[in-house]
Amino acid sequence: MTAYGLADLQRIDDRCRELAASELGLEAAEVIYHLVGPDEVYFAAANGLPARYSSARWGAQFESDYGRYRAGEGRIYELIFNTRPVHAYLMEGNSLVAQTLVIAHCLGHGYVFETNRWLGAVDREIMPRVISAAERIADYMGAHGRDAVEDFLGACHAIAIHQPQAQLLRRAPTPETEHRPGRYDELFPEEVAAERQRLAHERDALRRRFPREPEQDLLRFIERHARSLEDWQRDVMSIVRSEQSYFLPQLRTKILNEGAAVLAHQEICQRLLLPAGEYWEYEQLNASVVQPHPGQANPYNLGVELLREIMRIATDPDEDERERWRWAGEADPLERVRTVLRDYDDEALLREFLTPKVCERCRLYAFERTAGHARRIRVSTREADTVRDLLVRHHSNFGIPAIEIVDADFRGHGELLLQHRHDGIGLDPEYARGTLVEMATLWGKACTVQTIRGRDTERPVWFTGHPGGQTERHDEAPGSD
Amino acid sequence: MAVLGDSGLPRDQGRRDALHHRERMRRKITEQLRERIGEEDIIAAGPEKRIRVPIKGTRRWQFILDRGLEQGVGGGDGEPGDIIGPAGGQPPGAGEAGLEPGEELYEVWLDMDDVEEMLFSELALPRLKPKQQANAQSTEVVFDDLARQGPRIDKKATLRENLARNARRGRTRLGGIEKPDMRFLSYRERLLPRHKAVIFLAMDVSGSMDAGRKRMARLFFYWCVQFLRRRYDQTEIVFVAHTTEAREVTEEEFFNRAESGGTRVSSAFEVVERIQRERFPAEDWNIYVLHVSDGDNFAADNARALELIERLTPICALVGYLEVDPHAGSWSHPGHKLSRFYEQSAGDLPGFAFAEAEDERELWPALKKFFAKDDVEAAVR
Repeated sequence: MTAYGLADLQRIDDRCRELAASELGLEAAEVIYHLVGPDEVYFAAANGLPARYSSARWGAQFESDYGRYRAGEGRIYELIFNTRPVHAYLMEGNSLVAQTLVIAHCLGHGYVFETNRWLGAVDREIMPRVISAAERIADYMGAHGRDAVEDFLGACHAIAIHQPQAQLLRRAPTPETEHRPGRYDELFPEEVAAERQRLAHERDALRRRFPREPEQDLLRFIERHARSLEDWQRDVMSIVRSEQSYFLPQLRTKILNEGAAVLAHQEICQRLLLPAGEYWEYEQLNASVVQPHPGQANPYNLGVELLREIMRIATDPDEDERERWRWAGEADPLERVRTVLRDYDDEALLREFLTPKVCERCRLYAFERTAGHARRIRVSTREADTVRDLLVRHHSNFGIPAIEIVDADFRGHGELLLQHRHDGIGLDPEYARGTLVEMATLWGKACTVQTIRGRDTERPVWFTGHPGGQTERHDEAPGSD
Repeated sequence: MAVLGDSGLPRDQGRRDALHHRERMRRKITEQLRERIGEEDIIAAGPEKRIRVPIKGTRRWQFILDRGLEQGVGGGDGEPGDIIGPAGGQPPGAGEAGLEPGEELYEVWLDMDDVEEMLFSELALPRLKPKQQANAQSTEVVFDDLARQGPRIDKKATLRENLARNARRGRTRLGGIEKPDMRFLSYRERLLPRHKAVIFLAMDVSGSMDAGRKRMARLFFYWCVQFLRRRYDQTEIVFVAHTTEAREVTEEEFFNRAESGGTRVSSAFEVVERIQRERFPAEDWNIYVLHVSDGDNFAADNARALELIERLTPICALVGYLEVDPHAGSWSHPGHKLSRFYEQSAGDLPGFAFAEAEDERELWPALKKFFAKDDVEAAVR
């Protein structure tokens, strides 16, 4: 490996930035690069943000990832954070060719951070808040014991992802509460009176219902309405919730963002006119980034193939494609890509551009789990429509089930009732029980979720978790007792 | 300049957090081991063995869809119908348990050494007193004295002397340190007290002790012996087995032989008292007596047993009694279980403790009751 210094990296950054702007039209935000050791890279990767509060949760991730790195299984080349300014961490000891690829890659990310409408909604000045939160949590650990705070953090993290922007809202229709006059009403005065009375009851119940509308923001609802929380606990809840909300837009644009970064490093490195030996090394690294993953669509590969498909449609569409896209065959390919990077998220990108050609090039297949082996899968089909439907469904809500709080005085005891707005598949029973127990420790009383059994949409099932750790399954709606 | 060498990241925070994670794991494992000390795989594992311990309460729970039904999208080789296994799977139990990506730490492999260490860190011999014996003294060197000369200067004491000397001359400040101010650390040899202890393990091996009860009694004593050997290697253990008669037996016999016949608990305490008088004088030894039975004693013998216990408690650090299967009916004298008798007659006898264990999960609480750590500090002082 050739020795290099910071000045060499600076030169590479200058050159890549110039190419990105002039050749690709990607005006990236300024990126501050730090050359750091593996300890620091894996620390920041485990925490998700630098300077985040200390927690055994990140420790577990650090230990596992760093352990695998030391065992020679896998390696992080770069880490980048969507803050203002953007900070990226380069791993010491990587070759200069690897650093070149990474810097070019980061310019792609930098462009998306700066221009994408979803990522733009993120609070990029988050760092001062993160640092102050870390100090407060350290104080709470001192005052209330590290374990108590860690347990509480764990419970918060179990439901933190259930925030409104994380889900496409599927609201239940509001029940009818007015008697609609009918032409035969006069013939059945008693029935009509009974119906009026029933509806009046329902109206009444609805008025007293709390929350009035189903609530998707689980953590915030509990933070505001739980009775027995201490101040530090409410603070920890709001910290976890607000940091989680920072990550949600990134989850929503993962494929798009990685696609942009790969496209940038490929296009820039092509134009750097590397000597043969270095180019060969670059090709190997690039191949390792975009190789297919069994059991999971590789977002780097899928992302760049989707963007290249847009470029192809812009220059070389077939007849059907001309029909479908007004701009097909007549657009500047990079201009089309920049438009998509600005306005799309993963769901929209997949829905519109995951063509049979892309499926084939990424060698995508749909799979099912095999019974009894959680980690063994059976290929079910390579048919593009099925693959697209599955991917779109996963990315419309990141694979997170839509859960709402529908009653905060369930069974008249101040328990929580949650509703799983299912998509044809019920919740995992074991995980539902575990999560409900965590949630019940936050709420202070039992929490129940209504879902369905497996794929059987006709058979509802209820799971309950208690603060003490006990759980139950009910096959009938649990009534008041 | 957009390229910087320093990250400003805390340099060893990752390792510290990992350590916190391990400590939490350790505590959770310990909690769960307590409930499992009766299980075969733990007992059967010798000191060299490793056991697989599932850890509850370490998974990161989330609402997810039914795992068995979930479909997904992957990339690479494979025709419809092909089964694809996990890529690059690790051999189970290789080294420290790690996390698979997206998977939770669920089971760890532990050396029995570690298992015992975790469990026993919560136990201690109660009321252990230093007992001196002329032929078993050792010494340690302690620096806890000051002298006007010596090899190691005590800066704080020297400054204090200087301040005092200046003050005596009307100057309230430090300065002008001279020979008379100098103070040095001085050492002396101190006799180290020896915590010599003997523990009498007395087991009912009569006919009423059926297979399940015997197993419980032996499990209890197994953990007692493991604990004592690991933590107090100077402790003598005396094994006593009794039916209507009692006698001292070897460890091998104690754990393996079955007998039949009636039960006379006092016989065990008679043997204990005799051996103690002959071999373990109370001024030299911390004495512990633990007796396990199903409580089916000759009713007429109960008073005699208690009389002996009352004679033992003043010279013992602890006399303990564990009744296994306490709620099973007593076929000889219903309602005359030994535990009921002790409860009524010796409930507040100092130095005497009794516990009941209905099943193996209750052995740990019993061990904790007899080997309670809490009053050790107070007792030693």
